[in-house]
Amino acid sequence: MEILLLLSVFVIATCGLIYELVAGTLASYLLGDSVTQFSTIIGAYLFSMGIGAYLSRFFRKHLLSWFIQLEILVGLIGGISSALLFLLFEQAASFRIILYLLVGLTGVLVGLELPLLMNILKGRYVFRDLVSRVFTFDYIGALLASIVFPLLLVPYLGLIRTSCCFGMLNVVVAMLLCIKFRQEIKWARYLQIKSVAVILLLTGIFAWANKIMSFSEGLAYRDPVIFSHSSPYQRIVLTRSRTDLRLYLNGNLQFSSRDEYRYHEALVHPVMRYAPGHAHVLILGGGDGMAAREILKYRDVEQVTLVDLDPAMTRLFRENALLTKLNSNSLNSPKLKVINADAFQWLRQNHTRYDIAIVDFPDPGNFAVGKLYTTAFYRQLRHSLYNSSVMVIQATSPLVAPKAFWCVDATLYAAGYHTLPYHTYVPSFGEWGYVMASPEMLVPCRPWLPAGLRYFAPAVFPQMCMFTADMDKRKVQANHLNNQVLVQYFEDEWGKYQE
Amino acid sequence: MNGENTRSKQLTRKDFLRYMAVIAGATVTAAQYTACLYKKDKYAHIGGSIYGASAALGHRLRNGGFDTPQVTEHADVVIAGSGIAGLSAARVLQQHGVGNFKILELEPHTGGNAAYGQNAYSAYPLGAHYLPLPNLDNQPLLALLQEAGILTGFNEAGLPFYNETDLCFDPEERLFIHNRWQEGLVPQFGVSERSRSEIRRFFALAEQLRWQKGKDGLYAFDIPVNNSSKDPQYLQLDSISMQEYLRQQEFVSEELLWYLDYCCRDDYGAGLSIISAWAGLHYFASRKGRAANAESSQVLTWPQGNGRLVQHLQQFSKGKINTHCLVYKVTPKGNQVLVDYFEAATNQTKRIIAKHCILATPQFVTQRLLPAGSYDHDFTYSPWLVANITLDYLPEAHGLPLCWDNVIYKGRSLGYVNAQQQRLAQKAPAKQVITYYLPLDHLPPAASRQYALGLAHPHWVKLITDDLEQAHPGIHTLIKNIDVWVWGHGMIRPHTGFITGPARMAALESGYPHIFFAHSDLSGISVFEEAFYHGNRAAQAVLSAIA
Repeated sequence: MEILLLLSVFVIATCGLIYELVAGTLASYLLGDSVTQFSTIIGAYLFSMGIGAYLSRFFRKHLLSWFIQLEILVGLIGGISSALLFLLFEQAASFRIILYLLVGLTGVLVGLELPLLMNILKGRYVFRDLVSRVFTFDYIGALLASIVFPLLLVPYLGLIRTSCCFGMLNVVVAMLLCIKFRQEIKWARYLQIKSVAVILLLTGIFAWANKIMSFSEGLAYRDPVIFSHSSPYQRIVLTRSRTDLRLYLNGNLQFSSRDEYRYHEALVHPVMRYAPGHAHVLILGGGDGMAAREILKYRDVEQVTLVDLDPAMTRLFRENALLTKLNSNSLNSPKLKVINADAFQWLRQNHTRYDIAIVDFPDPGNFAVGKLYTTAFYRQLRHSLYNSSVMVIQATSPLVAPKAFWCVDATLYAAGYHTLPYHTYVPSFGEWGYVMASPEMLVPCRPWLPAGLRYFAPAVFPQMCMFTADMDKRKVQANHLNNQVLVQYFEDEWGKYQE
Repeated sequence: MNGENTRSKQLTRKDFLRYMAVIAGATVTAAQYTACLYKKDKYAHIGGSIYGASAALGHRLRNGGFDTPQVTEHADVVIAGSGIAGLSAARVLQQHGVGNFKILELEPHTGGNAAYGQNAYSAYPLGAHYLPLPNLDNQPLLALLQEAGILTGFNEAGLPFYNETDLCFDPEERLFIHNRWQEGLVPQFGVSERSRSEIRRFFALAEQLRWQKGKDGLYAFDIPVNNSSKDPQYLQLDSISMQEYLRQQEFVSEELLWYLDYCCRDDYGAGLSIISAWAGLHYFASRKGRAANAESSQVLTWPQGNGRLVQHLQQFSKGKINTHCLVYKVTPKGNQVLVDYFEAATNQTKRIIAKHCILATPQFVTQRLLPAGSYDHDFTYSPWLVANITLDYLPEAHGLPLCWDNVIYKGRSLGYVNAQQQRLAQKAPAKQVITYYLPLDHLPPAASRQYALGLAHPHWVKLITDDLEQAHPGIHTLIKNIDVWVWGHGMIRPHTGFITGPARMAALESGYPHIFFAHSDLSGISVFEEAFYHGNRAAQAVLSAIA
């Protein structure tokens, strides 16, 4: 039966190190900067083990029962730790505190284990043998853990399942001890029931590990998710609170129903004022139909062609009653034609010309989307425009990302357009920028505006064209397919902003 | 163990060792079992075939035994070989009104090292896959690119504008080093400051050499090679290996030496110890190209690699290219040249009586065609493996996402190129196609050639997948297909002494008035520009002979 106890040393050591590695890995996944995370986690963990070792002196009686009790507790806390951390990450205001609390608690419990066990075994061995055996098994266990963790556990099981497995292992040790020493220990029955319960809980977490991951993803949104769908192109998520409906694509906010009118009025009405013709309008992107809604307020618009990549988007904004109310059913208008295609590809084979183009793509956060903001793209677009046509491009925030914003302006200029950059304030987005562009000089030519606008008015436009020093023109390069500087500007500036 | 406590005797030292052994054994068994679980026929699902040069037909040249030609044809010019040199020669002839020519090609397709293939998901190169921005004094090449619509015009300063969709899209290059994909191929991530300063010193040296001219007023290193300075100060660099040169210059940084070795293997199919210092430096110092809308270091590339240029060039030879035809004998006879060839499709031997003949074939073939020709073994060819890999997608990893050129630091291969880099579409391709390059330089060329031709498909799959797994653990589950091309004589190898040696000098002229040689191996450097240059040179020689 000493073997059983020594075996538990081995298991304890393996489990103990695994919890430490899980916490370190998880912290570097979620918080980044793996060197700092690992070293602080290891430090905190070892320190807590010291506290545990100190506390062990207060255990005088029923050592074996306490030890079993402890194993179950370690199994429970260690086992659920990574699931818990994943779930809490999105919610907790100070994730670090929870992380270190959990690491500390596990450390204290693990630190208690060995001294307690040595006290149990001390009557059964000569001291010298005892120390040598216990530590031998301890270090072998540590070696095993450090090898299997990166090679087998993380790649094949994942973090949540790994900690579940080792939690169960702790509890199994407890159970075995319970059975083996049932005459010697107190509360044997109670301990057994407890360990079965913990094993059941951990099995449950093991089975639901994938669900937990996606549930924790759902918590990234501040309001309840009312719709989510993964199309081949993106993840579409709608959230709803009492007063607000929000659309997220791949986690990025596209609009909030409270203030989207500001964004879309500023996107559409200036270009309508500057364009001499309104008959044929092209919208690239904008599958939510909000820009189309603004355009259809003009009676001289004869036809709107909306090219959006994702059929799932246009279908959603065409069919869902909540959303058609928001876009005034614009996507079902007889004047509007929806084409689900890749804008770049579509432009390459299009032969129709348009009076107006509204270019409303996602922000240039990756190299794929970045291609839609290049000189090559704007030159291609030129073939679908008349000399007098006017277009507008959403161009990210000139306040957060002035280089990215002015890069869009510089790119249009390099592609041979006259430009007119302007910006507006959209509370849910912040300060937002647009660039109007035309092959010819930009001159306002239409005083008339549709009735019922809530934000845009000719009188405010000069103000929108003024750039204060903090977002004024920067010296930047134009964005080409072969340099994609815009993606770098965008990442640098937004990355810094989010730090 | 003199225990007053008798219970401790229950665990003797022997027992203890036994338990230790059991634990160790159990651990190893468990680990192995798990490993086996994943290893058993790990790569069995990966399909594909082996392709390559038509070795069987080609080797008949060595073994001979052809009947006397049964059919006789006539042509003004016969061009043997439809690689870049042959096609370039044909273009010049056609443009100068010499339309009565014929191209004979051993392979079923044209293009030589610039040939390309295609599957359901993408076109892909079978060899050469990019063209660096041409030097501004390389007028013939600039004219070719303008003619092909790749060069669209010039700015006020005379710098060319290139078609934006033909310039390699960003992000261009990444290196997997210290478990991270860093930007660029020159090691930076986790590299010591000492190494970095050596790397800077090397590039400063290369930059200096780039603009240096010899006493003859020519650039020390230029493209084509024949335009480089003959100043002995520079030519003597050909008499030592690149490795020796770097030692003399006191470059010791591990990362720099790896990078330079990589570059030599990339361009010449052999490492620092074999390649001459002249050739090794030529790689860095010969390129002086600039553009109005690109950095000088950028390149032109296409999904099918230089197959794009082949497609343009072969328009000038429409209906004049006979593939699967092995030229086996070329005999000068008075003012004529008799070109005997074997047509595999009809299993017939034929003769063309031509006024002129351009042998756009490598020297190891050329010398076997001519009477009393003797192949000088100073012409050494590096064997290569090119594989096109079709996979679901490339798994994301730390650092930069998928680039055009992706290299693994100290990997066995030269890494892989994304054949779909020039896509404009937003949606990820249904399947990713990457082109994997491996110079077979672990053995001397002949032995390596033999080794490579004997290797079965599953072995190639294992070799390639194991290499990729270093940077992409688990990638084998995503790989669907690996098509393998073995090029026994992949490219000329500018080993120490070759560029300035007598063999190359002798081969520049055929020695017969109506026979002209055209091949990049005459430069000692296997790149598009050299093949193009030799094609033009041979065609010009034919034109002046006609005139």
